[in-house]
Amino acid sequence: MAAAKTRTSSFSRNLSAAAPSQGPGLKCGPNGTVFLSSGISDLDKILGGGFPLGSLVMVMEDAEAPHHMLLLRNFMSQGLVHNQPLLYASPAIDPRGFLGTLPSPAASKDEKSHKHDPDQEKGLRIAWQYKKYFGESQLNFDGQRDGKHEYSNEFDLRKPLERHFLSAQRVDCVSIQDSPNLSALQDRSATFLSQYPRNDGSISCAGRIAIQSFSAPQCAYSNMEWDMLSFIRSLKSMVRSSNAVALITFPPSLLSPSFCKRWQHMADTLLSVKAIPDEDKELSQLLTGYQDMVGFLNVHKVARINTQVPVILDATTFSIKLQKRRFLVLECLNQAPVDGSSGTSYGTSGSCSGSSKTGNLDF
Amino acid sequence: MAESICRALRDGALEGEHAPALTIKDSIASPFGFHVFCHVLSQLSSFILAGKSQSGGLVVVSFSRSPSFYLELLKNKGIDVVSSDKRIQILDCYSDPLGWKDRLIEAGNFTALSHEASNSSTANVLKDVKHMDKLYNSIVERGKGLIGGGKNRFSVAIDSVDEMSRHASTSSVAGLLSNLRSHDQVSSIFWLLHSDLHEARVAAVLEYLSSMVTSLEPLHQPANGHRGDLENLSLIEHNLKKGKFHVRIKRRNGRVRVMSEEVHIEQSGISFTSLSSEGAINQGLVPKVQFSLELSEKERIDRANVVLPFEHQGNGKPIQIYDGRRSLADSKHERQVAATEKVQTNEDSGGGEIIYFRDSDDEMPESPKASI
Repeated sequence: MAAAKTRTSSFSRNLSAAAPSQGPGLKCGPNGTVFLSSGISDLDKILGGGFPLGSLVMVMEDAEAPHHMLLLRNFMSQGLVHNQPLLYASPAIDPRGFLGTLPSPAASKDEKSHKHDPDQEKGLRIAWQYKKYFGESQLNFDGQRDGKHEYSNEFDLRKPLERHFLSAQRVDCVSIQDSPNLSALQDRSATFLSQYPRNDGSISCAGRIAIQSFSAPQCAYSNMEWDMLSFIRSLKSMVRSSNAVALITFPPSLLSPSFCKRWQHMADTLLSVKAIPDEDKELSQLLTGYQDMVGFLNVHKVARINTQVPVILDATTFSIKLQKRRFLVLECLNQAPVDGSSGTSYGTSGSCSGSSKTGNLDF
Repeated sequence: MAESICRALRDGALEGEHAPALTIKDSIASPFGFHVFCHVLSQLSSFILAGKSQSGGLVVVSFSRSPSFYLELLKNKGIDVVSSDKRIQILDCYSDPLGWKDRLIEAGNFTALSHEASNSSTANVLKDVKHMDKLYNSIVERGKGLIGGGKNRFSVAIDSVDEMSRHASTSSVAGLLSNLRSHDQVSSIFWLLHSDLHEARVAAVLEYLSSMVTSLEPLHQPANGHRGDLENLSLIEHNLKKGKFHVRIKRRNGRVRVMSEEVHIEQSGISFTSLSSEGAINQGLVPKVQFSLELSEKERIDRANVVLPFEHQGNGKPIQIYDGRRSLADSKHERQVAATEKVQTNEDSGGGEIIYFRDSDDEMPESPKASI
C-alpha cells in the first residue's frame, strides 16, 4: 500500500524551473526528489518511482548466481538509452567487453499487451490471485505511449545494445583489479560527478555510476576493509551533492560480518539477490510459477531523501523471472493454494504476502 | 553426480563465457579430497585423450605431490602419459618451489645432487611460485605449447590451492584463478582445497570463484568429540572409509543444483553411490509458516474415514447417514424435548467426525414460546 500512496501535504515545494524539459529520463517525485529509472519497470514501481537522484544503491550479490548482473545491465542500458553518461568500474581486466552484453530496448510494448487478451476470454478464472489481474490493466494503459520516449524501457536481454550508444563520451570504464588502493577509482568518480553538480536550477543531465563486484577477491585492495568503507562513504557524499545515482554490487559472503553490516547501513537503497535451488520439490509445491523463476530479489531499504516518512512495502521478496528468456520481470511470491486454510495463505508471514503491484485499490 | 561434474568439465566453456571451475573441498573429518581430485583428473585425461572433450590438453600444476606420482597414477588408469605427452603436461611446483636448490648450489655448499630420473619432457620445474604472475604465465605458456594457437583450449588442474595460498596473498591467488577462468583458451579448471588449513574467508573466496563446489563430509558425526570412546573410534574408522559427497552446481540460468552422494574409498580407488537416506538438502528459502501445510498420517486416515453427509455416496446403495433426525441409538425422545442443541456423535471408527444438523431441524414444532 505505502509504495503507491504518495503523501500529499499542504506544504508543497516551490518547483520553479525544475519540472519541465527534463527529458524522458527523469521523473519528478514527491518531496522535491527526481527519479531516474532502474531499467526494470517492476522495480521502479516497487521503489515508488525509481532511484532518486543523489542516492546510493547497493546490491548484495549471491555467490551462487549472477542475478546482480541482470540488475546492472538494465541499469546501464537504461542510462545509455536516455543519454545519461555512465561510469562503469569492474574487476575484469577489460571492462569494455561487458558493454557488449548490455541489452537493447524491446521493439514495442504491443506484443506484450496483446498477450494478455486471450486470457481475458476464459470464462471461469480462479479469483484467489485476483490482485495479479489488476496490474495487467495498468500495464495495458502504460503501453500506449511511444516506446522511445518512455521513462522506463523494457529491455530484451537477448538483443545487444546498438553500438552508437556505447561511444566513448557516454561510457567511461575503469578496471579495479590491479589498483592497489582505491584512490584512482575515487579520483575518477570525483571527476565524473563534478560534471553534474546539484544546484537549484534545472537539471540538465544526470549521470550514473555502476560499480560491479566491489569487494571481489581478485582486487588487490579487497582485504583493506576500512579503506573500502571510507571509499563508499565518500562516494555517497559526492553523489548526494550531484545529480547522479551510484549503483554498487558486492558479494557479502566475502566480507566480515561487521563490515557487511556497515556497508548495508551506508546504502540509501539496499537490494539483495538470491539463487534458488533447481528442481526443488518443496519449493515447487509451495510457490506457483516456480518453474519460471530464476531467483529472488529482496528489497531491504528504500531511499528516502528529504523526508522522514518511511516506506513500508507490502512485500519485500520478489521472484525474478525471465519471460520468454528475454524480459526481466519481478513478481511477488504467491503461495500455492493450501488445503482448506486458504485464508491464512495471504497472511502476514513477512515475505510471502500480498501484491506489490501498485493500484488504486488499497487492499 | 560425480559423473555430471566430469561431464561439465569435459564440455568446457561456451563462447564468451568463463570456463567452468570446480572446487573440491574436504576437511579432516572426511579427508578424501585428494582421492576425488585424482578421480576427476583421470576421468578428464581419458576424455581428452579420447578426443571427446572440448579441451585438447591438460596442464597439471602439482604442488603437493611429485610429478612421478601423477605419471604413475595415470599409467595405472591405463593412460600412458609419455607417449601422449602432447596432451598432458605437468608443471612441477613440488620439487623446488622456492628455488632453494639452485641457491644452495650457487652458494657452493655442496655439489649438485643427482636429479631424479624424471621425464623432463613432461615435468617442468617451476622455481618461483611466490609470484602469481609468473605462475600464471607459466601455466598459460605450457597450455599454449600443448595445443598450439587458434581456437583450441586446454584444461588446468591445480593440485592444491593450499600451497599456493601459503606463498601468496588470497587476492593474488584469486586473481590468478579468475584470470585463468576468463582466459580465452582455458576450457575448464579444477582445484583442491583442504578447508581446515585456512580461514573461512579463503574457502568463501574460492567458492565465489568457482562454478561447481563439491564438499566432503563425514557420514556420521562423532558425538562430543571425545575421541577416546570406543564407539567414536569405530565411527571415525567408518568415516575414513566412507563419506558424503555434496555438490553444488551453479547453472547458467542462475539456479543452483544441489546433489548428494555417498563415496567409498577402496583399494582400487573411489566409488560413488547414491545416498542411502535422503536428508533435507536445502534449508527452506521460503519463510517458515506457523501452520503446517501437510496432513499427518493420523489426520490422513481420519480424513479417509469421515463419511460425508450426502445422501448419495455414489457407490450404488442408499446410505444411512446420521443426519440429526433419527438417532442410531435409542434415546431420541430426550433429544426432542431439549431445545438447545446437543452434540450427538456418530458411531464411527476413528476420530473423524462431521456434526451435521439439517436446517429443517432448527425449526421448532409449533410450541408456544415462553412469554413474559
